[in-house]
Amino acid sequence: MKIDRRCFLSLGIGAAAGITLSPLPWKITDDLSIWTQNWPWTPVPPDGKTINKKSACQLCPGGCGIAVRRIDKRVVKIEGLKGHPVNDGGLCTLGLSAAQLLYSPFRIQAPVKKVNGKWRKISWDDALATITTKMTELREEGKAHTVAGIIGGERGTVSMLWQRLFKAYGSPNLMRNTSMEDAYSLVLQKTQGNRVLPGFDFENADFVLSFGSGLIDGWGSPVRMFRALGDMKNRQAKFVQVEPRLSNTAAKADQWLPIIPGTEALLALGLIHVILSESLYQVRFVEQHCEGFDNFKKMVLETYPPEQVAKATGIKVETIKELGREFARAKNPLAVCGRGQGLTPGSFQETAAVHVLNALTGNLGEKGGVLAMPAGPEYEEWPEVEPDDVAAEALQQKRLDGAGGDEFPDAGDLPTRLAQVINTGKGDGIQLLFISGANPVYTLPDTKAVQKALAAIPFKVSFATHMDESAEMADLILPNHCFLERYEDVPVAAGLTSPIVNLAVPVVKPMYNTKHVGDSIIAIAQALGDEIADAFSWENYKTCLKETLGDEKWEKLTEEGYWVDEEFKPVPWKEGFKSAATKFIFPDPARLNHPPVSASGDAKQFPLTLIACDSMRLAGGAVGSPPFLIKITPDSVLLKEDLVVEINPATAADLGLKEGAQAVLATPKGSGRVRVHLDHGIRPGLVAMARGLGHGAHDKYLAGKGLNTNAFIGPVDDPDSGYDAAWGISASLAKA
Amino acid sequence: MKQEQEKPKKFGMVIDLDKCTGCGACMVACMAENNVPFKENETNKLDSITWMRVYKLTNNKPFPMTEVCYLPRPCQHCEGLHTGHSPCVSVCPATATDYDMETGIVSQIYTRCFGCRYCMGACPYHARYFNWWDPVWPEGMEKMLSPNVSPRMRGVVEKCSFCFHRYQAAKDKAFYKETRAIAEDDYQTACTQACPAGAITFGDLDNKDHAVYKKKQDPNAFRLLERLGTNTKVYYLSRKEWVRKAGDNYLPGEGLQKPRRIHE
Amino acid sequence: MSTADDNEREVHGQETDADGGGHDSGTTVREGGGFVLLFFIIGFAASLVVGWLIFPNLLYSQKKQPFDFNHALHMGEVDNGCESCHFFREDGTYSGVPKLAQCVACHEDVQGDTQDETIFVEKYVSKKREVPWRVYSRQPDCVFFSHAAHVKMAKMDCVTCHGHIGESTSLPVYEENRLTGYSRDIEGHHLENLLCLKKNTADRMKMDDCAECHLEKTGRKTSVQTEKDGCFVCHK
Repeated sequence: MKIDRRCFLSLGIGAAAGITLSPLPWKITDDLSIWTQNWPWTPVPPDGKTINKKSACQLCPGGCGIAVRRIDKRVVKIEGLKGHPVNDGGLCTLGLSAAQLLYSPFRIQAPVKKVNGKWRKISWDDALATITTKMTELREEGKAHTVAGIIGGERGTVSMLWQRLFKAYGSPNLMRNTSMEDAYSLVLQKTQGNRVLPGFDFENADFVLSFGSGLIDGWGSPVRMFRALGDMKNRQAKFVQVEPRLSNTAAKADQWLPIIPGTEALLALGLIHVILSESLYQVRFVEQHCEGFDNFKKMVLETYPPEQVAKATGIKVETIKELGREFARAKNPLAVCGRGQGLTPGSFQETAAVHVLNALTGNLGEKGGVLAMPAGPEYEEWPEVEPDDVAAEALQQKRLDGAGGDEFPDAGDLPTRLAQVINTGKGDGIQLLFISGANPVYTLPDTKAVQKALAAIPFKVSFATHMDESAEMADLILPNHCFLERYEDVPVAAGLTSPIVNLAVPVVKPMYNTKHVGDSIIAIAQALGDEIADAFSWENYKTCLKETLGDEKWEKLTEEGYWVDEEFKPVPWKEGFKSAATKFIFPDPARLNHPPVSASGDAKQFPLTLIACDSMRLAGGAVGSPPFLIKITPDSVLLKEDLVVEINPATAADLGLKEGAQAVLATPKGSGRVRVHLDHGIRPGLVAMARGLGHGAHDKYLAGKGLNTNAFIGPVDDPDSGYDAAWGISASLAKA
Repeated sequence: MKQEQEKPKKFGMVIDLDKCTGCGACMVACMAENNVPFKENETNKLDSITWMRVYKLTNNKPFPMTEVCYLPRPCQHCEGLHTGHSPCVSVCPATATDYDMETGIVSQIYTRCFGCRYCMGACPYHARYFNWWDPVWPEGMEKMLSPNVSPRMRGVVEKCSFCFHRYQAAKDKAFYKETRAIAEDDYQTACTQACPAGAITFGDLDNKDHAVYKKKQDPNAFRLLERLGTNTKVYYLSRKEWVRKAGDNYLPGEGLQKPRRIHE
Repeated sequence: MSTADDNEREVHGQETDADGGGHDSGTTVREGGGFVLLFFIIGFAASLVVGWLIFPNLLYSQKKQPFDFNHALHMGEVDNGCESCHFFREDGTYSGVPKLAQCVACHEDVQGDTQDETIFVEKYVSKKREVPWRVYSRQPDCVFFSHAAHVKMAKMDCVTCHGHIGESTSLPVYEENRLTGYSRDIEGHHLENLLCLKKNTADRMKMDDCAECHLEKTGRKTSVQTEKDGCFVCHK
């Protein structure tokens, strides 16, 4: 008897049989299959209590209310606030992705100072002391006016605090970013007598004529415009878009008039010609409530007959005549202007012509017409600032940008002229520049000139939330809280028809060592001492905000998130205007009777015309697009890192370019490599370029992708107002 | 003891293409709601995961007769000609995708999926996306992830679920009040809510009280690739004939096909 | 020569051996038949022991909770039974394991003199850290479980699924499956659970258990693929 291999075989078979009859293989198989479904590096989002917090979006001037969905202390999603008068639950792409801005790795997490080209963290006390020391020195040297500021918006308490600081300290050089609202505001002042803002009653208009305004590409208050245009479809109101390119807005219009770019003012004047020559205007308005009509009429009838206009604009005489008649005969016609999102103010000629077109149909202050809106919400008054002697003297200095000066007496702010002024060495050099709520290095036209001008300023202080292009150029950064972490009032104009204020509240505690810019301003003012400190007696920004809003508004705002002035009623034209004569004053014919602002550049070297185009898929302003926006950017706009420009197939054939081909785009301001996309929806001879790309800073999802339109297009001073009236630039496109 | 049975629902959408502005809010709302990841380079749209995608259609006419229309495309939640014979469900070897007759929703269970991608081949609408890479969120941004939707992993297919987790939440809310009644408003997809133009309507296609019931009977309603018999639950509206014709493949000169009405 | 002889003998011997071997092997089979059977039985028995007794113990690692918790004691302090701490929120979602915020009202300072209490207050309450409890009923992330559906609509008791944990004075040891990472409470503690059998609903909480009960109680066969309840009823 021996133990041999058979025994072991038998042992094995026995073991196998036993194992099979035990749970081991089955359990292991089952567990392994579950194990394969475990991906420990895939995050498991923690569950918790869901809270919806009401707040206000501050990423554009649109004034949407937002509902922030928080799970425990995390912001999970941002949605539109239901019942909000502006957006009623809807929200745009940028607002929807705003949580990505809150959690962006590109947040500035503490005050930093640039030392030998590198950022070094410093304490808040040191940061504020650096500024106040500098400001005190400059004041003592009699150079208070060499402190300048570029800020985001005109309205709201933060902006009011900036203005107050500059007034008490003694510098006239605080500049805001400008937009089409500035051009409108000027026209309203000239024609109706008070510097108000325009309101557009799209909700009641039955015929909308838009001169290149991207009504659904982000113009005015974007979500309100989406809603208004959707509603117009339901009401079967007519909508005509005048634009050289088939933008989303043009695509949604009932009629698209592909005009030669830059000639919109001429078309408006041509339409006025039709209305005047066929006596289609509102007679009572002209006879009883106007001044200067005869001169104006004479000028238009002489200079802008439809035949002339047709030649210049590329739109048929018959179309012009029909459009003029149809517009004048509509019950509630409404004409608007401000190209694209209205980021560039535009010329006085164009805005005034469009406004007169409205006026002649008798829609001013009427249902479906253009309303004069108050320039800001009614707040509790602050005690008047009394500048001390130093400040009073410094405030006598002329503004560097020339606004309000001899050349451009009508302009409020001209930041687009700043680079040119600094680079040509005019005026006293700026010694200290504050940048708050703005990103001038990215948003101002002619990037190279702006960079050069900023580099010449010895000390720049940024109050940015994210490391954007302007923050990168700064010497000191005092990071503001992200808008989801701070209190702030958000007065809304944006073409709405009732005055609205929203309140942004901190939906989460500040994540980093940041400080509300309002608190920074108050701290700076208080450290400067004497009269300046006296003008800022608030304990902190929150008490300032609360006092300014008043108890009633504060209560309503903290509860509802918004406050609407229910008592506001537009003043119809029949009740007169605010001008001295209570009449509508037709613009001086000389200011309208000249060729429109043209694209700069030599036509031989640059035979094409480059225009910038806005879309909802990219943020074109001071805020950089978060990753979600880059994700939904079409491949006909961005391909890998390449910007894709749009040209007509006919243009492409002339240039020998095929779809997707690489090319070099050049303008008098700059050049760069692009790819081309062929599209029938653009006038031959034009090159369209999306705004919002070409960021040098921000995260890897945005930085280094595409090109910035501002690097190609320079500002053009409107001869009548000084506002930037550039609508494009001469360009060339050649095979790479 | 058997519980009381509810009337089966057929959730679906009606999208008014004349109102859609192509802004992309639906896409972003969807990505934020459903933990859809993003990569550094998303310009290759074939591997860019967007459950909801807005396509640009043109009439291909030269300047200036060119017209453009935008078409948002979520998962069409095909019912097929006999219930549940959806193109993707019938090819899935892993029981990862399924058709639920209770709601009419085509489900996708990520942990169940083993990534064969048959369903992607079968789907005529390109509504399904494959995770070629592990999702990566920049440091700190994973805080935005919603616990109501399970984040996906490398190697699985994902697609629009008609925000099913919102239906689960709506049911929870109703159950808490010890009722089964869910109002039209209680269950709406993220894209429907976000659309600033009000172009998307969502509801039970079989429920006479829901807005979609009426809208789908509009003479201008059509569905995508109607003739494949996929019997989808997403209807489109457009007054323009060229747009309606773009919804299917037509021979030159062929007239517009009248939709087969299955959901009456 | 001798070498040659030896070789010869050896060769012969080998032949003999080979012959004998051939002959012998028959006897070994006959004689060794007992061994083969014995070895079979040994193998069989040993693997049964390994498969049924050793393996289940090896499969699970025993993990401790951060500190012990006395459910019975707390039940005596509250008015509303389990729902006092494990409550529904107004939106119908279920709060699950209490967060620190719920405990601090009473546990701001050390209550009583147990060591667990000291750990709780010193390590968690005063440092505002959430307690990293190991949850016995934790399901994978892809599972959506509606407490409202089961408790409010189907009127099920807590004990049906969670057993009598509410009466316990200390927490059971947390046994974690080394392969899957899930708690043994999901897979079952009893031997028959390993064969997908169970006595009580609470014994085992895997997908098949859910599906089986759903089919039995609701009768729904709405899933086209499985002819059971729809996948999205419990998945997310």
